[in-house]
Amino acid sequence: MKLLKVSLSGVRGVVGQALTPELVLDFACAFGTMLPAGPIMVGRDTRKSGPMIQEAVISSLLSTGHEVIDLGLCPTPIIQFLTKKYKVRGAISITAGHNPAEWNALNFINSSGTYLNEFQGADLLDIYHLNRFRYKSARKFPKIIHEINPAEVYFSWLRNKIKIKEIGQAKFKVVVDPCNGAGSKLIDRFMSELGVELIAINNEGNGYFPHDPEPRPRNAGEVASLVKATGAQVGFLLNSDVSRVSLITETGETLSEEYTLPLIASYYLGFQPGPVVTNLSTSMMVEEVAKKFGRQVIRTRVGQSSIIQTMLQEGAAIGGEGSGGLALKNFQPAFDGWVIMGLVLEMMAISQKKLSELVRELPRYHIVKDKIVCPPHRLHSLVAETRKLYPEKEINSTDGLRITEKDFWIHIRASATEPIIRIIAESPSKNRAQLEVDRVLTFLSRLMS
Amino acid sequence: MRKALPLKVSVSGVRGIVGESLTPQIAARFAAAFGTYLGPGMIMIGQDPRPSGVMLKKAVISSLLATGCQPVEVGILPIPTILFLTKEKQMAGAVVITASHNPLEWNGLKFIGPEGLYLKASQVEEFLDIFHQGEFTFVPAERIKPILQEKNAGELHLQKILSQLNLKAIRRRKFRVVADCANGAGATLMPQFLKELGCQVLLLNTEITGSFAHQSEPVAENLSTLCEKVRHFKADLGLAQDADADRLALVDEKGRAPGEDFTLALTVDQVLRKKKGPVAVNLSASMVIDDIARKYRVPIFRTKIGESNVVEKMLEVRAIIGGEGNGGVIWPAVHPSRDSFVATGLVLEHMAESGKTLSQLIQSFPRYFMLKDKLPCPSELAFQAVTELRRRYSKETTSTVDGLKIIWPDSWIHLRPSNTEPIIRLIAESRSAARTRKILVSFKKELLEIMKKLS
Repeated sequence: MKLLKVSLSGVRGVVGQALTPELVLDFACAFGTMLPAGPIMVGRDTRKSGPMIQEAVISSLLSTGHEVIDLGLCPTPIIQFLTKKYKVRGAISITAGHNPAEWNALNFINSSGTYLNEFQGADLLDIYHLNRFRYKSARKFPKIIHEINPAEVYFSWLRNKIKIKEIGQAKFKVVVDPCNGAGSKLIDRFMSELGVELIAINNEGNGYFPHDPEPRPRNAGEVASLVKATGAQVGFLLNSDVSRVSLITETGETLSEEYTLPLIASYYLGFQPGPVVTNLSTSMMVEEVAKKFGRQVIRTRVGQSSIIQTMLQEGAAIGGEGSGGLALKNFQPAFDGWVIMGLVLEMMAISQKKLSELVRELPRYHIVKDKIVCPPHRLHSLVAETRKLYPEKEINSTDGLRITEKDFWIHIRASATEPIIRIIAESPSKNRAQLEVDRVLTFLSRLMS
Repeated sequence: MRKALPLKVSVSGVRGIVGESLTPQIAARFAAAFGTYLGPGMIMIGQDPRPSGVMLKKAVISSLLATGCQPVEVGILPIPTILFLTKEKQMAGAVVITASHNPLEWNGLKFIGPEGLYLKASQVEEFLDIFHQGEFTFVPAERIKPILQEKNAGELHLQKILSQLNLKAIRRRKFRVVADCANGAGATLMPQFLKELGCQVLLLNTEITGSFAHQSEPVAENLSTLCEKVRHFKADLGLAQDADADRLALVDEKGRAPGEDFTLALTVDQVLRKKKGPVAVNLSASMVIDDIARKYRVPIFRTKIGESNVVEKMLEVRAIIGGEGNGGVIWPAVHPSRDSFVATGLVLEHMAESGKTLSQLIQSFPRYFMLKDKLPCPSELAFQAVTELRRRYSKETTSTVDGLKIIWPDSWIHLRPSNTEPIIRLIAESRSAARTRKILVSFKKELLEIMKKLS
C-alpha cells in the first residue's frame, strides 16, 4: 500500500513511494495555476527529503509564472506570518510536522497566512485532477528571491507581543528539544531575546530525528531527565515545524500534549474576550476552563484549517487541538509553537507559580488515544460501521463519530493525514476510557480480517 | 507529411518548447529515468543562460535527489567544460539544460555519461526504455543526499587546455583578438582564456542575460558585425562561438569569414605538424582534411554524422585530432568532445609558431567549394530512394556508412536521409563553385525521378 493522503492541510506521503517529484510538481503546478500572478513563498523543515521537494515546488511555481521567495529552512508559523506580512499570493510549507522522518508533505497556505479553507482546497484538487496547468512561455521567466531574513522579521514582531520584561526578570532556565527540526538554532535566538537560559538538545537542525517528532510524553524522556538534572523550570518538546508543543514540568513530569491548550486558555481567557474553539477529539479539560470564565466552547472537525476558519468566524479568543497546537487572537491565525512557549513562560512569570502548580489547578481526566491502520478506500465506511456499537446513543457526525455519555466520550474518525482510524476516549476513570477504546479496536479489526 | 512535433527526443537528449511540450513534469521524468539508469552517484548539473533554465534545472535536481543521486551544481558553463569536468571530477554523469542554437522559447536536456561523453546510441536506448516504462527507482528519505554547489569549476578546464599549448610562443605575439560569445555560456570563460593567452581583446555579446543578440549558429551570415569589428580593431583574428561554446568560426585579419571548415583544417594541421597520428572526421567534412592527412601521411577515418559517432571512432582508432566541418574541433589531449576553447588555442598556436597571418595560413590550403541543399521527402521513401541510388552507383568509390557518399578524384557528394526531419540532405564539394552546383543539381534531379518512380 502506498501511503498518500490529500487533505486541506496538504498532501502528505512517504517519500519515494507516494511522494515523488512528479506528484509534487503536479500539486505545486495546480497551486500556481490557482493563484493569481504574484510572488509565492516557499520554506521547509529540516527533513532530508526537504530539498528534493523544495526544488520541485520552486520549479513548478516558476513554470506557472510566479516569482518565488525562497525562505529556506523555516518553521511553518513563521512562513504563515511572512505570507500575510509581505502580502504575497500564498505559500507552500514543506513539512510533515509530527510524522516520522520517512514522511513529508506540502502544506498550502493562502494569502491570509492560513491553511486553505474548504473552497480553496476543493479548487486546488479540481485543477490537480484536471491536470491542465497554466504554464508560462519561456521568453521571460520570473526570479527567485532570497533577500528576506525570516527570523529577524518574525521575532521582532513577536518580541513586542509578549511580556519579555517580566519573563526576563524571572531568570528562567528551560530545556528545549526541537528534535533537530526547523526550530533548531532559532530557539537559541528566541530564548536569548526573552532573557531565558536555554539548555537545548537535538538542536543541530540536521533532519536526523532521534525520536518521532511528535510532542507527547512517549518522546519526552530526554527532556524530562534534563529538566530534573539541571533544575530547569520547564521543558518544551517541539514537532519538526514548531506548530505543536508539549510540556514538561519542573518536577520532570511529562504532560500529555492535551494540557497545552487548557493551560494557556486558563491564563489567556483571563484578559482576552471571546469563545474557545477546539476539535471533537480534544479533552474536556478545556470545557472546564472555559466554564470558569463563562465562555462557550465550539467543537469543529479535526485539523488546523477547521479550527482557524471557525476562530475567525466566531471571533474566538483561543483555538487549538489536543495535539499541542493552538492559535491566539491578537497573535496570528496559525498554530504557533513560538507563541505557545512565550505564553507559558509569561504565565509562569506573571503568576509566579511553578508549572506543576498551574497544572494542578486544571481538572484531571484520563484520555486514551489509539489508532488502527486501514486501507484508505475503506476509512470512512469502517468508521460508519462503528455506529453499530452504539445503536441507541445520540451521535455527533461532524467528523466521524462522536458519542458523549455521562461518564465518558469517544471519538472515532478517519485521519486526514494518514490511512488510519483514530479512536480517542476520555473519562474521569482510566479503565472506562480504555475499555471503550478496546471495544472499538476489537470491532474494527474483526471487520477488516 | 508528418508535422514536426515540438518535443524532440534524440540521441543528444530531449528538446521542446517550454510550457508547451517541455514542462517541469517531463524534465523530471527524464531525470528520474537518468538517475535510475546511472544509479546513485554524483551527477553534475549545468545550464546555458536561457531564462527557463533555472526552472527546468530544479525539476531535474528534484528527480536526481529522489533517485538517490547527488547533484553537483556548476551553474552556467560551456558544454565542453561540463563534459571535461564530468570525467575530471569522476562524476557518474551529467545533465545540461540547454537548447544550443534553438530560439529562446525552446530548452532541452542533454545527458552525459560517466566518461564525460554523450550517451552512445545503445545507452540511449536503455535509458529511454526506463523512461517509457516509467518505473523509477526512488530511494527512501534517509538515503536522499544533499545538493552540492561548485563555484568557478570552469577554471580547471582552462588550465588543462593551457597546459597543452605552447604558451610562451602565443603570449609573445600579443595577438589582437575580437571574440563574439553570442551571449552564450562561452562568455563565462572566453575573456579569462584570452587574457591567459596574452591577447589584447575586444569582446562582443558577453552579457549572459538569457537573450541572444543574434542567431547563435556561427555561420557566415551571422558574422557581419564581427567582420566589421575585426577590421575596425585592426585585429589579427576574430572568433565566433555558438551558444554552447562547442563550435567556433573564424574571421581573418582582413575581416573575411573563410567558413567553419577552416577551423577544423587549421587545427588538424597544427596538431599533425607536431605529432603524427590518425584523424577522424565525419563524412561531410571538407576534403581539405584528406589533403592535410595525406601531407602528413597519417590515416583518416570518416564517420557517420553526429558528434558521438566521431568521438566513438576517435577513441576506437586512437585518433589524435578530429571533429566536424561545422567548426567542432575534438582534441583528445584535452578531452574527447567538441570544444571552441581548444579550437581557439590551437589556431592561435598555429599563427604563433608559423609566424603567419590567418589569411596566409588559409591560402596555403587547397581551395574547395562546398554547397548544401535539402529535398523534402517522407522518411520511408527517403531510405528507399537512397538505397536505389546506392545500387546505381555501386561501381563508383562510395561510402555507405551514413546514407550514400560518392567520391571522385577531386569532388564528392553526400546524400543522407535526416534523422529528425522528413528531408534528404545533400552536400557536395569540388574545386569550383560551378562544378559543385552542377553535381548537386543533377543528383537532386535524379532523386526526384527515383521518388516519382517509387511512389
